[in-house]
Amino acid sequence: MWAWLEERTALPGLWRRFANHPVPGGPRLANVLPAVLVYLFVQQAVLGVLLAAHYSPSATDAWASTAYLNDQIASGWIIRGLHHYGTSAMLLAIVAYLFSLAVSREYRRPREMVWIAAVGLLIVTMALGVTGNILPWDEQGYWAAQVELGIMEQTPGGGALRTVVQGGAEPGNLTLTRLCAAHAFVLPLVAAALLTGIVVLGRRAQAKQAEEGTVRVQAFAAGQLLIDMLAMVLVAGTLVAVTISSHGSELFGPADPTSGFQARPEWYFLFLYKLRTFFEGSLEPIATMVIPGAAVSFLVVVPFVDGMAGKVGRLGVLSVLGLMLAGVVALTGLSLSQDANNESYQKAMAQAYTQAQRARTFALDGVLPQGGPAVFQNDPEYKVRALYDEHCANCHELGGLGGEEAPSLTDYSSREWLAALIRDPNDVRFFGGTKHDGMSAYTAQGNVVDEIEPLPDDQLDAIVEFLWRLQGESDVDATLAAAGQTLWDDEADCQNCHEIEAGAEGSGPNLLGHGSAAWVARIIRDSSQPDLFGEEAQMPKFGTDKIDDERLAELAAFIVRQRAPAATE
Amino acid sequence: MLAGAGARGVCVAGVTAAPAVSVLIHPLRTPTTSGSDAYIPVGKLAQFVGTTPVKVDLFSDTVDAWNRAVHVKIGSAWVRQDAEGQLVAMSTVCPHLGCAIDYDADNSKFICPCHDSFFSLDGGVETGPSPRGMDSLEVQTEGDLVAIRYQRFKQGTDAKEPV
Repeated sequence: MWAWLEERTALPGLWRRFANHPVPGGPRLANVLPAVLVYLFVQQAVLGVLLAAHYSPSATDAWASTAYLNDQIASGWIIRGLHHYGTSAMLLAIVAYLFSLAVSREYRRPREMVWIAAVGLLIVTMALGVTGNILPWDEQGYWAAQVELGIMEQTPGGGALRTVVQGGAEPGNLTLTRLCAAHAFVLPLVAAALLTGIVVLGRRAQAKQAEEGTVRVQAFAAGQLLIDMLAMVLVAGTLVAVTISSHGSELFGPADPTSGFQARPEWYFLFLYKLRTFFEGSLEPIATMVIPGAAVSFLVVVPFVDGMAGKVGRLGVLSVLGLMLAGVVALTGLSLSQDANNESYQKAMAQAYTQAQRARTFALDGVLPQGGPAVFQNDPEYKVRALYDEHCANCHELGGLGGEEAPSLTDYSSREWLAALIRDPNDVRFFGGTKHDGMSAYTAQGNVVDEIEPLPDDQLDAIVEFLWRLQGESDVDATLAAAGQTLWDDEADCQNCHEIEAGAEGSGPNLLGHGSAAWVARIIRDSSQPDLFGEEAQMPKFGTDKIDDERLAELAAFIVRQRAPAATE
Repeated sequence: MLAGAGARGVCVAGVTAAPAVSVLIHPLRTPTTSGSDAYIPVGKLAQFVGTTPVKVDLFSDTVDAWNRAVHVKIGSAWVRQDAEGQLVAMSTVCPHLGCAIDYDADNSKFICPCHDSFFSLDGGVETGPSPRGMDSLEVQTEGDLVAIRYQRFKQGTDAKEPV
């Protein structure tokens, strides 16, 4: 059977070449890194295909489809999490590989191209991280894209470059389709080519070494293969542990161009983010382009620098690499510790997490086709607001919007609202826009014509406190309210028009429970009930044909919530 | 030696394979799309007088994986009065392979233009490949409002079974 296959496909021969490959010096732990990189790359590719099977690269669908995979498909979050942390693992493995090559000086002839391919893989993997981070089109992705495209724009001819990459003057559908194509096709193909170069050219160099016969060799499958696979198992276990303990990759709320999200890049770009802060204004390109450009150029020419510098070469290369790594670590640490101690950043992040939680909970009911931020239309508050806009806003002002034909509902029936009403009920804020004019203004000076006694501020406060108690509020000043009740019955003579016994009818509305959700609901349903405004009622009735009981209760609660918003938040 | 490598290979592959299977079979375990099971109002009684069929479109709120949509067309139906004056509704989806069934007013019969199935006014197969007659839908009248419960049925089978 092997012969049959060999004749037609050459596969058994290829396998033998793979398994019998001579490893100079026998199995070594230092040799595992290319194998780990191959494993991670293949895993990223498979996970990427699974993500692509559930992801919709459009500005309206990207967030919703990601949220669906992450929160509604069983194990979807594991796929996303493994893919997310897989990039970090690849970067760590590449950096470790570069250092292992540098320490053993294995970038010298004939391995120059292995080194350069590894440097290339480092850059391509970072590009994969940048593009992948943007795709979910959540707050993090959207704002990171703004920053990264902004940096791109600073390069010479960058304006045009940004327009091409972004697919237009503004980020949108074409941004995501283009970045998705780059992330899922172009960059992985380049990475695969570079990785193939690392493995094949590395083996070629090893084979050459073996031919020279100066070192002991052992077949790959006799020892190195098992060590390689052990390393893969350890890396896989770590990835699973990190993914599960962090519950996968973060997904913030949908991209909102107005939110002012405090974007930070992925951890492996924090050093560049921090570096930028040392170069203000026109010097900024030094941090975003000159220094990174110089560092990459140095990495590429390392094999040749070593050769030119003779005996000091190795030490020189190692110390520059060490300094670069120390710089990256220091800047990353600085960035992390400053954010940890930055109260406004921490507060903004806490808000962003809360917003993300709300958005993802609402997304469980499905997101309207208008796109990510439309998920907040699933908020019951949004629905009741729509109800309010439909039925109430024509006549009642709320938060500066709406008609003036009826009392303002801004801060409705708060202590301040009640006091202002008593002082001047016929102001346009209250009944000025209506036909109701039966109540006199109770000013501090009084009114001789209507025989209204002066009502000093302290008495007004007491009456308001009494009304506050009638409303059913809990934070009542009992003494003040009791004083208010005396004034109510006596001096101010409020009881002459307003009853406060349940169901009792007066010339003015019964004020028992005035301003409570139940009272508001009764007014909305029918304000002409005899114990309310009676025959003088002007507000249209909203019967069950217009608003059913459940929605009426929600609407009344919404109106009541408009007062003292500080206490409800 | 190879067994050891194989065991480790299975471990490493399992990290991706296990969640991959779970994710891929998600549609077998959880419905990913849903329309409405409720009766959908389609018009007033007066619109459906006589045995000549009237085509109505059915609108409903739907959920499609991550999207929900409000009031979108989910299907249509032919509505007419039968010989006894009872209102009947039939799906426009052909039971054969799902094409849209049209009405041929000249010959007073239904026709599926894709594969030439012909149906009588009461929905029975006259000629053509359709394995069963047109699928009837439940009709309800409340006052003078007519409502239809929209369902899709398995195609290509003799028996009418909801999908």
